[in-house]
Amino acid sequence: MADIIAIVLVALFGITGSLLMVLSAIAMFRSNDALSRINVFSPATGLGMPLILVAAYVYTLWQDGFGLMRLFMALVGFLSLIIVSSVASNVLSRSVFVAGAPVWRRTSPNRLAEARDDEDAGLTERETWGDFDITDLD
Amino acid sequence: MINPLRLIGYCAWIGKEIVSGSLDVVSGIFKPGEYGNPMIVQLPLRCRTDVEITLMASSITITPGTLVVATAAGDDDTPPTLFVHALFGDSEDDVLEGLYDMESRLLTMTRGEAPAEIGWPAAPGSPAEGAAS
Repeated sequence: MADIIAIVLVALFGITGSLLMVLSAIAMFRSNDALSRINVFSPATGLGMPLILVAAYVYTLWQDGFGLMRLFMALVGFLSLIIVSSVASNVLSRSVFVAGAPVWRRTSPNRLAEARDDEDAGLTERETWGDFDITDLD
Repeated sequence: MINPLRLIGYCAWIGKEIVSGSLDVVSGIFKPGEYGNPMIVQLPLRCRTDVEITLMASSITITPGTLVVATAAGDDDTPPTLFVHALFGDSEDDVLEGLYDMESRLLTMTRGEAPAEIGWPAAPGSPAEGAAS
């Protein structure tokens, strides 16, 4: 019985994590500029990798039994993955911004290019199309 | 000192946000047409200390669909400001509402009490305390 539970848990976490990796890669192909690509790989780094780590921990728990050191390593790894991937995404997006990479022209509103006015409240995104042509990627 | 129970509650809420944001990113793949609805919004913060601002920026970035692009330091007149790239919001107001909700939860965690409500929409450059009255 314990074997079945362990196998099911390892499969569930491992396959979900791997699928998130693949789907994030597809999302990176679908998106249009560097900022969006950094944005959509967050599921892979923030959820996919920790899930694969959980699968690996459940596997060692099943094979080798419970150990306090193993649990500690898994917890540190889990927290580090989330914190490091967050900081890394921040650094990447900051460097994209500083390097002046083009922003997709339909990124609207773009508050880095145009400050918010009081009358903008309640405007939907579609109504302001074409007002800001930062860089034409197409 | 941060209450450990509040810290655990906040981490659980961030975990929920990561899962729902991941679902947004994944479900966006299967929709035809252009991917997402990108916008860069300006977020004046009520956070004051470096720890609060860092935690806020990290929380925003770890949530799939939102990404901190640039930061602006605050002084006596202007609050510290983040510029957030959001991919799946319906409108600017919608995105800002979600970010202010996250900030309120974060400040409740770090300060032990709910922060003052921000008068919305806050004019750019106006101090958050003045807008709260």
